[in-house]
Amino acid sequence: MLTTVAQAVVNGLLIGGIYALVSIGVTLIFGVVKVVNFAQGEFVMIGMYISYFLASRFGIDPLASLVVSMPVLFVVGVLLQHFLIRRVLGLGDMPQIFLTFALSLLMMNVALMLFTADYRTVQTGYTDLAIHLGPIYIAVAKLIAFVVAMVLSAVLWVFLHTTDLGRAMRAAAQNQDVAMLMGINPDRVFCVALGVALALAGAAGSLLMPFYPAYPMVGQVFVLMAFAAVVLGTLGNITGALIAGLMMGVAESLGIQFVGADSGLIVVFLMFLVTLIIRPNGLFGGWAR
Amino acid sequence: MTRTPRGSGVLWLGALVVIALALPLVVTSRFYTDIFIRVLLFAFIGVAWNLMGGYAKQLSLGHAAYFGLGAYTSTILQIKFGVSPWIGMFAGGGVAMLASLPIGAVCFRLRGPYFAISTIAMAQVLMLLFLKFRDFAWGAEGTTIPNLGNSPLMMQFDAKAAYYYIALALLAAALAITWWIERSWMGYYLVAVGEDEDAAAAIGVNVPKIKRHIYLISAFLTALAGTFYIQYIYFIDPNTAFSFNISVEAALVSIVGGIGTLWGPVLGTVLLEVTSALLQSWLGSGLGGVQLTVYALILMGVILWRPTGLIGVLTDAYDRLVNAGPAPAREASLDG
Repeated sequence: MLTTVAQAVVNGLLIGGIYALVSIGVTLIFGVVKVVNFAQGEFVMIGMYISYFLASRFGIDPLASLVVSMPVLFVVGVLLQHFLIRRVLGLGDMPQIFLTFALSLLMMNVALMLFTADYRTVQTGYTDLAIHLGPIYIAVAKLIAFVVAMVLSAVLWVFLHTTDLGRAMRAAAQNQDVAMLMGINPDRVFCVALGVALALAGAAGSLLMPFYPAYPMVGQVFVLMAFAAVVLGTLGNITGALIAGLMMGVAESLGIQFVGADSGLIVVFLMFLVTLIIRPNGLFGGWAR
Repeated sequence: MTRTPRGSGVLWLGALVVIALALPLVVTSRFYTDIFIRVLLFAFIGVAWNLMGGYAKQLSLGHAAYFGLGAYTSTILQIKFGVSPWIGMFAGGGVAMLASLPIGAVCFRLRGPYFAISTIAMAQVLMLLFLKFRDFAWGAEGTTIPNLGNSPLMMQFDAKAAYYYIALALLAAALAITWWIERSWMGYYLVAVGEDEDAAAAIGVNVPKIKRHIYLISAFLTALAGTFYIQYIYFIDPNTAFSFNISVEAALVSIVGGIGTLWGPVLGTVLLEVTSALLQSWLGSGLGGVQLTVYALILMGVILWRPTGLIGVLTDAYDRLVNAGPAPAREASLDG
């Protein structure tokens, strides 16, 4: 019993690292630009397909393709902010929600036309490898994904706290008007925020590829999880999103283990809804919206 | 709100009613009647969504919850207890209203995008529950509705035209309710909440109460659509009844047509469904994804260039024709 619980927790933590990456992206965009990106999951999907094609055409390991997927999605993020999101800032909820929502719809369905609904997988040398820690079994591909996800989160934290640009982003998140008075260029900061958030989504995609199938709607799984984690971790709070992302992974895994294979999402949504009822501002206080 | 001059408005409405009533008599092809029924049904769902999403700006993406509850209530009553869907339909509406209270109590704690997300989560949880409850509601396989032949008392008809008139009656009722709400105190409260919740509360609008009330009405109407749709296609399963596409289309037709306007959802549905039918006849059903790709592009175009939707385009064109130029300082029909 204890072993089963421990195994479920370990599995949950490992996939939770990916949820955390996606959640951090969502919360970063929300914190800085004040827009909820409904298409964040679709950028995970793009990251997956980039790694899939690099692996199947050129035999490049999905982990190595991080150096392609992250920069590509960074640029996409900058362009997205500059050409689309910028145009709906300050226009109220409807345009902001439905612009990124339309983008999500567009990306899923264009992917469906280009790549069909087939599941694509990449077989790597370590896909089926596992480490045994006593009775607990740890899949190597998931462990690598988890470790890289945590490293990327740490790098982001260092970037936000020690560099001028990172400080500017946090300032813009706290109070945009004052930040502008201090000479921070909001357009530039917003573009970087989108770029970083999408690069994290792309990284999540590449990290998933050794053990998770790519298909056009795959982003929906991750985005719903991320939205729940972002609310649970308090909107705009990056550390909160990281912890809540890991918690979501564990909750889902325990749900699958103890309620049934198709119950992971029910448990996660119920957690989300219970959070809304008892702590609508999330576990980490902060502002309500 | 529509701002056509009084006299010509009545004329237009009269002409529209005559055309709508005569349409199945003139066009008898089952293919076209099917498209008309889809247009009426989705326009109806759009009008129901628009009451809450358009006027009060509570942008729900989870109206499939009520569509599904309506569909399942009437189907369970019909198959397990032999109750006519005509009664089941309103029972479903009642169930949806009851469900909207706890769902609203949770979701209304959040605003804007997070309200939308929490409504998605609610609809998903309901779908997952119906997928799990095998003995109670047939689980994932769903069930077919027993075909009783031509049986008007059980909402089953040989003639497609009958379904057309039911859908038309539903839409007319929803439009009448919207028209009446627009002109009542409730309409003004809703618009006040939609423009700025905090300001509305500050001038004494009971914001939670008004949201709760409009959610009750919107949920009730959406549930009626669920019953009708299942009766029309003779099949139910959780993926059909709680389909995310229902939630999306409800919002989409309203936004594309003109959010927060009486006729917006109707115009939007006509545009989207006609586009979809054309695409289908050009491409066959072979290329999955084309329809939603086009919907997404239309939605993006509306948001970036015409936030007032199709109705904004039409009123501008009308003004240009009648007044030879945009009307001076015309009150905007939409904030922002």
